[in-house]
Amino acid sequence: MASERTKSSDEAREALRDAMIRLAAGDESALEQIYNATRVKLFGICFRILGDRKEAEDALQDVYVNLWQRADRFDPERASPISWLSTFARNRAVDRLRTGKVRAGSVAVDEAMPLPDEAPLADMLLVDAERNAQIHKCIEELDPNTREHIRSAFFDGYTYAQLAERADVPLGTMKSWIRRGLMKLRTCFEASERS
Amino acid sequence: MSGQENDTDILRDDPMIAAEYALGLLEDEELDRTLAKFERDEAFAWRRDWWNNWFSPWTDEIVPMEPGPEVWQRIERDIAAAPSARTSVQSAATAPSHSDSGQVVMLERRVRRWQWAAGITSAAAALLLAVLLFTPGADPVPSDSSADTPALAVADPLVASIPVGDTRLGVTYLPATSEMLVSASGLTGDGVHDHELWVVPADGGELQSLGVIAPGEERRVAIPQNAAQAMDAGVELVLTREPIGGKLEGEAAGPVVAQGSLSQV
Repeated sequence: MASERTKSSDEAREALRDAMIRLAAGDESALEQIYNATRVKLFGICFRILGDRKEAEDALQDVYVNLWQRADRFDPERASPISWLSTFARNRAVDRLRTGKVRAGSVAVDEAMPLPDEAPLADMLLVDAERNAQIHKCIEELDPNTREHIRSAFFDGYTYAQLAERADVPLGTMKSWIRRGLMKLRTCFEASERS
Repeated sequence: MSGQENDTDILRDDPMIAAEYALGLLEDEELDRTLAKFERDEAFAWRRDWWNNWFSPWTDEIVPMEPGPEVWQRIERDIAAAPSARTSVQSAATAPSHSDSGQVVMLERRVRRWQWAAGITSAAAALLLAVLLFTPGADPVPSDSSADTPALAVADPLVASIPVGDTRLGVTYLPATSEMLVSASGLTGDGVHDHELWVVPADGGELQSLGVIAPGEERRVAIPQNAAQAMDAGVELVLTREPIGGKLEGEAAGPVVAQGSLSQV
Protein backbone atom coordinates (compact mmCIF):
# COMPACT_ATOMS: atom_id res chain seq x y z
CA MET A 1 0.00 0.00 0.00
CA ALA A 2 2.76 2.37 0.99
CA SER A 3 4.71 1.62 -2.13
CA GLU A 4 1.59 2.07 -4.26
CA ARG A 5 1.01 5.45 -2.70
CA THR A 6 4.60 6.48 -3.37
CA LYS A 7 4.32 5.33 -6.94
CA SER A 8 1.07 7.19 -7.43
CA SER A 9 2.57 10.32 -5.90
CA ASP A 10 5.62 10.06 -8.14
CA GLU A 11 3.36 9.70 -11.17
CA ALA A 12 1.34 12.73 -10.16
CA ARG A 13 4.54 14.74 -9.76
CA GLU A 14 5.84 13.52 -13.10
CA ALA A 15 2.56 14.44 -14.83
CA LEU A 16 2.69 17.89 -13.27
CA ARG A 17 6.27 18.41 -14.36
CA ASP A 18 5.36 17.44 -17.93
CA ALA A 19 2.40 19.82 -17.89
CA MET A 20 4.61 22.68 -16.66
CA ILE A 21 7.12 22.04 -19.42
CA ARG A 22 4.33 21.91 -22.01
CA LEU A 23 2.89 25.17 -20.69
CA ALA A 24 6.30 26.85 -20.87
CA ALA A 25 6.53 25.68 -24.47
CA GLY A 26 3.27 27.46 -25.21
CA ASP A 27 0.73 24.63 -24.86
CA GLU A 28 -2.12 26.41 -23.16
CA SER A 29 -4.18 23.27 -22.66
CA ALA A 30 -1.61 22.28 -20.03
CA LEU A 31 -2.90 25.04 -17.76
CA GLU A 32 -6.18 23.26 -17.04
CA GLN A 33 -4.33 20.09 -16.15
CA ILE A 34 -2.07 22.04 -13.78
CA TYR A 35 -5.11 23.79 -12.29
CA ASN A 36 -6.88 20.49 -11.66
CA ALA A 37 -3.81 18.98 -10.04
CA THR A 38 -2.89 21.89 -7.79
CA ARG A 39 -5.89 24.14 -7.14
CA VAL A 40 -6.90 22.70 -3.74
CA LYS A 41 -3.37 23.03 -2.41
CA LEU A 42 -2.79 26.52 -3.79
CA PHE A 43 -6.23 27.73 -2.74
CA GLY A 44 -5.54 26.45 0.77
CA ILE A 45 -2.31 28.48 0.80
CA CYS A 46 -4.04 31.65 -0.46
CA PHE A 47 -6.84 31.28 2.09
CA ARG A 48 -4.41 30.61 4.93
CA ILE A 49 -2.52 33.84 4.19
CA LEU A 50 -5.48 36.05 3.32
CA GLY A 51 -8.18 34.72 5.65
CA ASP A 52 -10.98 35.66 3.27
CA ARG A 53 -12.56 33.38 0.72
CA LYS A 54 -13.22 36.01 -1.92
CA GLU A 55 -9.75 37.52 -1.63
CA ALA A 56 -8.25 34.04 -1.75
CA GLU A 57 -10.20 33.24 -4.93
CA ASP A 58 -9.00 36.48 -6.52
CA ALA A 59 -5.44 35.60 -5.51
CA LEU A 60 -5.83 32.10 -6.95
CA GLN A 61 -7.06 33.50 -10.25
CA ASP A 62 -4.08 35.85 -10.26
CA VAL A 63 -1.70 32.93 -9.60
CA TYR A 64 -2.84 30.88 -12.60
CA VAL A 65 -3.17 33.81 -14.98
CA ASN A 66 0.35 34.84 -14.03
CA LEU A 67 1.52 31.27 -14.36
CA TRP A 68 0.19 31.19 -17.89
CA GLN A 69 2.02 34.43 -18.65
CA ARG A 70 5.26 33.44 -16.94
CA ALA A 71 5.52 29.67 -17.27
CA ASP A 72 8.84 30.17 -19.01
CA ARG A 73 10.30 31.24 -15.69
CA PHE A 74 9.85 27.80 -14.19
CA ASP A 75 13.16 25.96 -14.26
CA PRO A 76 12.80 22.22 -13.55
CA GLU A 77 16.48 22.13 -12.60
CA ARG A 78 15.94 24.53 -9.71
CA ALA A 79 12.71 23.44 -8.08
CA SER A 80 10.04 20.78 -8.23
CA PRO A 81 6.86 22.06 -9.86
CA ILE A 82 4.80 21.84 -6.67
CA SER A 83 7.49 23.57 -4.62
CA TRP A 84 7.72 26.34 -7.20
CA LEU A 85 3.95 26.71 -7.47
CA SER A 86 3.47 26.73 -3.69
CA THR A 87 6.11 29.43 -3.34
CA PHE A 88 4.56 31.39 -6.20
CA ALA A 89 1.06 31.19 -4.67
CA ARG A 90 2.28 32.17 -1.22
CA ASN A 91 4.24 35.14 -2.59
CA ARG A 92 1.26 36.38 -4.60
CA ALA A 93 -1.00 36.06 -1.55
CA VAL A 94 1.52 37.91 0.64
CA ASP A 95 1.79 40.67 -2.01
CA ARG A 96 -1.98 41.00 -1.88
CA LEU A 97 -1.98 41.03 1.91
CA ARG A 98 0.56 43.86 1.91
CA THR A 99 -1.74 46.11 -0.11
CA GLY A 100 -3.50 46.62 3.21
CA LYS A 101 -6.93 45.78 1.94
CA VAL A 102 -7.09 42.41 3.60
CA ARG A 103 -6.85 41.60 7.25
CA ALA A 104 -3.65 39.96 8.30
CA GLY A 105 -3.85 37.01 10.57
CA SER A 106 -4.21 33.36 10.99
CA VAL A 107 -7.24 31.36 10.07
CA ALA A 108 -8.57 28.76 12.43
CA VAL A 109 -8.58 25.32 10.90
CA ASP A 110 -12.33 24.89 11.44
CA GLU A 111 -12.93 28.13 9.56
CA ALA A 112 -11.54 26.54 6.42
CA MET A 113 -14.15 24.87 4.27
CA PRO A 114 -13.84 21.12 4.23
CA LEU A 115 -13.09 19.40 0.97
CA PRO A 116 -15.88 17.52 -0.77
CA ASP A 117 -15.86 13.73 -0.67
CA GLU A 118 -14.21 13.39 -4.03
CA ALA A 119 -11.28 15.50 -2.82
CA PRO A 120 -7.86 14.45 -4.05
CA LEU A 121 -5.88 12.17 -1.76
CA ALA A 122 -2.53 13.10 -0.30
CA ASP A 123 -1.01 11.65 -3.47
CA MET A 124 -2.77 14.23 -5.51
CA LEU A 125 -1.70 16.99 -3.14
CA LEU A 126 1.84 16.07 -4.12
CA VAL A 127 3.01 15.98 -0.55
CA ASP A 128 6.75 15.61 -0.26
CA ALA A 129 6.78 13.48 2.88
CA GLU A 130 10.53 13.12 3.16
CA ARG A 131 11.34 16.78 2.76
CA ASN A 132 8.43 17.64 5.05
CA ALA A 133 9.82 15.39 7.80
CA GLN A 134 13.20 17.09 7.52
CA ILE A 135 11.89 20.63 7.75
CA HIS A 136 9.83 19.64 10.79
CA LYS A 137 12.83 18.10 12.48
CA CYS A 138 14.85 21.29 11.95
CA ILE A 139 12.01 23.56 13.01
CA GLU A 140 11.41 21.51 16.15
CA GLU A 141 15.03 22.06 17.16
CA LEU A 142 14.44 25.81 17.45
CA ASP A 143 13.42 27.27 20.78
CA PRO A 144 9.60 27.53 20.96
CA ASN A 145 9.61 31.33 20.92
CA THR A 146 11.68 31.63 17.75
CA ARG A 147 9.80 28.78 16.14
CA GLU A 148 6.49 30.53 16.67
CA HIS A 149 7.69 33.82 15.14
CA ILE A 150 9.18 32.14 12.09
CA ARG A 151 5.96 30.15 11.66
CA SER A 152 3.95 33.37 11.90
CA ALA A 153 6.08 35.03 9.23
CA PHE A 154 5.57 32.06 6.93
CA PHE A 155 1.91 31.22 7.56
CA ASP A 156 0.45 34.63 8.37
CA GLY A 157 2.65 36.82 6.18
CA TYR A 158 3.70 39.07 9.06
CA THR A 159 6.55 41.53 8.63
CA TYR A 160 9.32 42.05 11.20
CA ALA A 161 7.49 45.14 12.44
CA GLN A 162 4.20 43.28 12.88
CA LEU A 163 5.89 40.39 14.65
CA ALA A 164 7.68 42.80 17.02
CA GLU A 165 4.44 44.60 17.77
CA ARG A 166 2.56 41.40 18.48
CA ALA A 167 5.30 40.13 20.76
CA ASP A 168 5.66 43.60 22.31
CA VAL A 169 9.44 43.69 21.85
CA PRO A 170 11.70 46.19 20.04
CA LEU A 171 12.08 45.64 16.29
CA GLY A 172 15.81 44.94 16.69
CA THR A 173 15.10 42.20 19.20
CA MET A 174 12.65 40.48 16.85
CA LYS A 175 15.16 40.69 14.00
CA SER A 176 17.85 39.14 16.19
CA TRP A 177 15.57 36.29 17.29
CA ILE A 178 14.52 35.45 13.78
CA ARG A 179 17.98 35.76 12.26
CA ARG A 180 19.43 33.53 14.95
CA GLY A 181 16.68 31.02 14.16
CA LEU A 182 17.40 31.24 10.44
CA MET A 183 21.10 30.59 11.08
CA LYS A 184 20.17 27.44 12.99
CA LEU A 185 17.77 26.35 10.26
CA ARG A 186 20.43 26.80 7.61
CA THR A 187 22.88 24.68 9.56
CA CYS A 188 20.24 21.98 10.10
CA PHE A 189 19.07 21.97 6.46
CA GLU A 190 22.65 21.75 5.21
CA ALA A 191 23.32 18.87 7.60
CA SER A 192 20.19 17.08 6.26
CA GLU A 193 21.51 17.42 2.73
CA ARG A 194 24.85 15.89 3.66
CA SER A 195 23.35 12.93 5.50
CA MET B 1 20.14 50.00 9.88
CA SER B 2 20.40 50.52 13.61
CA GLY B 3 23.23 49.15 15.67
CA GLN B 4 20.63 47.32 17.69
CA GLU B 5 19.97 45.03 14.74
CA ASN B 6 23.54 43.98 14.34
CA ASP B 7 24.22 41.49 17.07
CA THR B 8 27.85 40.53 16.91
CA ASP B 9 27.03 36.81 16.78
CA ILE B 10 24.65 37.14 13.81
CA LEU B 11 26.20 37.48 10.41
CA ARG B 12 23.64 39.00 8.06
CA ASP B 13 25.23 37.62 4.92
CA ASP B 14 23.61 36.96 1.55
CA PRO B 15 22.17 33.57 2.55
CA MET B 16 20.52 35.27 5.54
CA ILE B 17 19.02 38.02 3.37
CA ALA B 18 17.80 35.37 0.91
CA ALA B 19 16.12 33.58 3.84
CA GLU B 20 14.45 36.79 4.97
CA TYR B 21 13.22 37.30 1.41
CA ALA B 22 11.90 33.72 1.21
CA LEU B 23 9.97 34.16 4.46
CA GLY B 24 8.51 37.43 3.15
CA LEU B 25 10.13 39.63 5.81
CA LEU B 26 11.73 42.22 3.54
CA GLU B 27 9.91 45.43 2.65
CA ASP B 28 10.28 48.65 0.69
CA GLU B 29 13.71 49.68 -0.55
CA GLU B 30 15.43 46.67 0.93
CA LEU B 31 13.03 44.42 -0.98
CA ASP B 32 13.75 46.33 -4.21
CA ARG B 33 17.50 46.07 -3.72
CA THR B 34 17.19 42.37 -3.02
CA LEU B 35 15.04 41.73 -6.11
CA ALA B 36 17.54 43.63 -8.25
CA LYS B 37 20.40 41.61 -6.82
CA PHE B 38 18.66 38.31 -7.61
CA GLU B 39 18.72 39.40 -11.25
CA ARG B 40 22.46 39.92 -11.43
CA ASP B 41 23.85 37.55 -8.78
CA GLU B 42 23.37 33.91 -9.63
CA ALA B 43 24.69 32.58 -6.32
CA PHE B 44 22.25 34.82 -4.46
CA ALA B 45 19.34 33.64 -6.65
CA TRP B 46 20.45 30.04 -6.08
CA ARG B 47 20.28 30.61 -2.33
CA ARG B 48 16.75 32.06 -2.62
CA ASP B 49 15.66 28.93 -4.49
CA TRP B 50 17.40 26.80 -1.87
CA TRP B 51 15.42 28.41 0.94
CA ASN B 52 12.19 28.26 -1.06
CA ASN B 53 12.71 24.56 -1.69
CA TRP B 54 13.20 24.00 2.04
CA PHE B 55 10.29 26.13 3.17
CA SER B 56 7.72 25.08 0.57
CA PRO B 57 7.00 21.57 1.99
CA TRP B 58 5.85 23.43 5.09
CA THR B 59 2.76 24.38 3.08
CA ASP B 60 1.71 20.71 3.32
CA GLU B 61 0.49 21.63 6.82
CA ILE B 62 -2.08 23.98 5.34
CA VAL B 63 -5.59 22.59 5.03
CA PRO B 64 -6.36 22.15 1.33
CA MET B 65 -9.54 23.80 0.12
CA GLU B 66 -11.72 23.65 -2.96
CA PRO B 67 -12.18 27.02 -4.67
CA GLY B 68 -15.52 27.94 -6.24
CA PRO B 69 -16.12 26.57 -9.76
CA GLU B 70 -16.28 30.11 -11.18
CA VAL B 71 -12.57 30.67 -10.50
CA TRP B 72 -11.55 28.49 -13.43
CA GLN B 73 -14.09 30.29 -15.65
CA ARG B 74 -12.52 33.61 -14.65
CA ILE B 75 -9.04 32.30 -15.45
CA GLU B 76 -10.21 31.07 -18.85
CA ARG B 77 -11.84 34.43 -19.52
CA ASP B 78 -8.63 36.29 -18.62
CA ILE B 79 -6.38 34.19 -20.81
CA ALA B 80 -8.87 34.21 -23.68
CA ALA B 81 -8.09 37.92 -24.09
CA ALA B 82 -4.71 37.29 -25.70
CA PRO B 83 -5.18 34.72 -28.49
CA SER B 84 -6.06 37.45 -30.97
CA ALA B 85 -2.47 38.69 -30.71
CA ARG B 86 -1.35 35.09 -31.11
CA THR B 87 -3.48 34.67 -34.24
CA SER B 88 -2.08 37.78 -35.84
CA VAL B 89 1.42 36.53 -35.07
CA GLN B 90 0.66 33.33 -36.92
CA SER B 91 -0.70 35.12 -39.95
CA ALA B 92 2.25 37.50 -39.96
CA ALA B 93 4.59 34.53 -39.82
CA THR B 94 3.20 33.18 -43.05
CA ALA B 95 3.80 36.47 -44.86
CA PRO B 96 6.85 36.31 -47.10
CA SER B 97 9.99 38.36 -46.50
CA HIS B 98 9.29 38.88 -42.83
CA SER B 99 10.62 37.53 -39.59
CA ASP B 100 11.45 33.92 -39.10
CA SER B 101 9.46 32.01 -36.51
CA GLY B 102 12.04 32.57 -33.78
CA GLN B 103 11.66 36.30 -34.13
CA VAL B 104 7.91 35.98 -34.14
CA VAL B 105 7.97 34.04 -30.91
CA MET B 106 10.11 36.74 -29.33
CA LEU B 107 7.71 39.40 -30.52
CA GLU B 108 4.72 37.47 -29.38
CA ARG B 109 6.16 37.11 -25.93
CA ARG B 110 7.12 40.77 -25.88
CA VAL B 111 3.68 41.92 -26.95
CA ARG B 112 1.96 39.58 -24.56
CA ARG B 113 4.03 40.89 -21.68
CA TRP B 114 3.55 44.47 -22.71
CA GLN B 115 -0.16 43.94 -23.01
CA TRP B 116 -0.17 42.46 -19.56
CA ALA B 117 1.88 45.39 -18.24
CA ALA B 118 -0.19 48.10 -19.81
CA GLY B 119 -3.56 46.45 -19.55
CA ILE B 120 -4.26 47.29 -23.17
CA THR B 121 -6.82 45.46 -25.26
CA SER B 122 -5.88 42.54 -27.42
CA ALA B 123 -6.79 44.54 -30.52
CA ALA B 124 -4.31 47.19 -29.45
CA ALA B 125 -1.73 44.49 -28.80
CA ALA B 126 -2.24 43.13 -32.30
CA LEU B 127 -1.82 46.64 -33.67
CA LEU B 128 1.38 47.13 -31.69
CA LEU B 129 2.65 43.85 -33.06
CA ALA B 130 1.79 44.88 -36.60
CA VAL B 131 3.64 48.16 -36.07
CA LEU B 132 6.67 46.35 -34.70
CA LEU B 133 6.66 43.89 -37.59
CA PHE B 134 5.98 46.21 -40.46
CA THR B 135 7.55 49.55 -39.57
CA PRO B 136 10.34 50.00 -42.11
CA GLY B 137 13.72 50.53 -40.56
CA ALA B 138 12.57 49.56 -37.12
CA ASP B 139 14.38 46.73 -35.44
CA PRO B 140 11.53 44.69 -34.04
CA VAL B 141 13.60 42.03 -32.36
CA PRO B 142 14.81 42.78 -28.86
CA SER B 143 17.17 39.82 -28.79
CA ASP B 144 19.01 41.09 -31.86
CA SER B 145 19.55 44.54 -30.46
CA SER B 146 20.96 43.18 -27.23
CA ALA B 147 23.21 40.79 -29.19
CA ASP B 148 24.57 43.71 -31.20
CA THR B 149 25.36 45.69 -28.10
CA PRO B 150 27.10 43.36 -25.68
CA ALA B 151 28.01 46.29 -23.43
CA LEU B 152 24.33 46.70 -22.64
CA ALA B 153 23.84 43.04 -21.88
CA VAL B 154 26.12 43.27 -18.86
CA ALA B 155 24.96 46.72 -17.77
CA ASP B 156 23.97 47.11 -14.15
CA PRO B 157 20.33 47.58 -13.24
CA LEU B 158 19.01 51.09 -12.70
CA VAL B 159 16.71 51.85 -9.81
CA ALA B 160 14.27 54.58 -8.91
CA SER B 161 12.31 55.02 -5.72
CA ILE B 162 9.38 57.32 -6.38
CA PRO B 163 7.55 58.73 -3.36
CA VAL B 164 3.77 58.61 -3.84
CA GLY B 165 1.84 60.09 -0.93
CA ASP B 166 2.94 58.19 2.15
CA THR B 167 4.12 55.20 0.16
CA ARG B 168 6.48 54.70 -2.75
CA LEU B 169 6.83 53.06 -6.12
CA GLY B 170 9.96 50.99 -6.64
CA VAL B 171 11.30 50.62 -10.17
CA THR B 172 14.26 48.46 -11.14
CA TYR B 173 15.25 48.50 -14.80
CA LEU B 174 17.23 45.58 -16.20
CA PRO B 175 19.10 46.78 -19.31
CA ALA B 176 20.13 43.26 -20.31
CA THR B 177 16.55 42.21 -21.01
CA SER B 178 14.76 45.58 -21.33
CA GLU B 179 12.55 44.56 -18.45
CA MET B 180 11.62 46.36 -15.31
CA LEU B 181 10.54 45.19 -11.90
CA VAL B 182 7.80 47.38 -10.57
CA SER B 183 6.99 47.25 -6.89
CA ALA B 184 3.68 48.99 -6.30
CA SER B 185 2.65 47.03 -3.24
CA GLY B 186 1.90 50.21 -1.28
CA LEU B 187 -0.40 51.69 -3.92
CA THR B 188 -4.13 51.15 -4.03
CA GLY B 189 -6.45 51.83 -6.93
CA ASP B 190 -9.44 54.15 -6.56
CA GLY B 191 -11.47 52.25 -9.16
CA VAL B 192 -11.77 55.20 -11.54
CA HIS B 193 -8.13 56.05 -12.31
CA ASP B 194 -4.95 54.25 -13.28
CA HIS B 195 -1.42 55.49 -12.85
CA GLU B 196 0.84 55.45 -15.88
CA LEU B 197 4.62 55.58 -15.64
CA TRP B 198 6.67 57.53 -18.16
CA VAL B 199 10.34 58.07 -18.89
CA VAL B 200 11.43 61.61 -19.78
CA PRO B 201 14.18 61.17 -22.42
CA ALA B 202 17.40 63.06 -21.62
CA ASP B 203 17.47 64.51 -25.17
CA GLY B 204 14.23 66.38 -24.49
CA GLY B 205 12.24 64.03 -26.73
CA GLU B 206 8.64 63.03 -26.18
CA LEU B 207 7.71 61.17 -23.00
CA GLN B 208 7.71 57.41 -23.49
CA SER B 209 5.18 55.27 -21.68
CA LEU B 210 6.41 52.45 -19.46
CA GLY B 211 2.86 51.23 -19.02
CA VAL B 212 0.11 51.35 -16.46
CA ILE B 213 1.07 50.47 -12.90
CA ALA B 214 -0.83 47.62 -11.24
CA PRO B 215 -1.60 48.88 -7.73
CA GLY B 216 -0.73 46.56 -4.90
CA GLU B 217 1.42 44.32 -7.04
CA GLU B 218 5.00 43.48 -7.79
CA ARG B 219 5.51 42.76 -11.43
CA ARG B 220 8.22 42.08 -13.93
CA VAL B 221 7.39 43.59 -17.29
CA ALA B 222 9.08 44.03 -20.65
CA ILE B 223 9.09 47.64 -21.76
CA PRO B 224 8.64 49.03 -25.27
CA GLN B 225 11.84 49.51 -27.22
CA ASN B 226 11.59 53.27 -27.66
CA ALA B 227 11.11 53.63 -23.91
CA ALA B 228 14.01 51.24 -23.24
CA GLN B 229 16.29 53.43 -25.33
CA ALA B 230 15.52 56.38 -23.08
CA MET B 231 16.27 54.51 -19.85
CA ASP B 232 19.57 55.76 -18.49
CA ALA B 233 21.10 56.84 -15.20
CA GLY B 234 19.90 60.30 -14.24
CA VAL B 235 16.78 60.37 -16.41
CA GLU B 236 13.51 61.30 -14.81
CA LEU B 237 10.46 59.07 -14.42
CA VAL B 238 7.05 60.60 -13.87
CA LEU B 239 3.80 59.06 -12.77
CA THR B 240 0.57 60.53 -14.14
CA ARG B 241 -3.05 59.99 -13.19
CA GLU B 242 -5.04 58.68 -16.14
CA PRO B 243 -8.38 57.09 -16.91
CA ILE B 244 -8.58 53.34 -16.30
CA GLY B 245 -6.39 51.65 -18.89
CA GLY B 246 -3.99 54.56 -19.28
CA LYS B 247 -3.73 57.76 -21.30
CA LEU B 248 -6.19 57.93 -24.17
CA GLU B 249 -4.84 58.21 -27.69
CA GLY B 250 -4.90 61.83 -28.82
CA GLU B 251 -5.53 63.20 -25.32
CA ALA B 252 -3.01 65.04 -23.21
CA ALA B 253 -1.44 63.08 -20.36
CA GLY B 254 -3.06 63.52 -16.95
CA PRO B 255 -1.53 65.41 -14.02
CA VAL B 256 1.89 64.36 -12.75
CA VAL B 257 1.38 62.90 -9.29
CA ALA B 258 4.92 61.76 -8.53
CA GLN B 259 8.40 61.77 -9.95
CA GLY B 260 11.84 60.33 -9.36
CA SER B 261 15.02 59.62 -11.25
CA LEU B 262 16.89 56.49 -12.26
CA SER B 263 20.24 55.84 -10.68
CA GLN B 264 22.82 53.08 -10.89
CA VAL B 265 22.63 50.38 -8.23
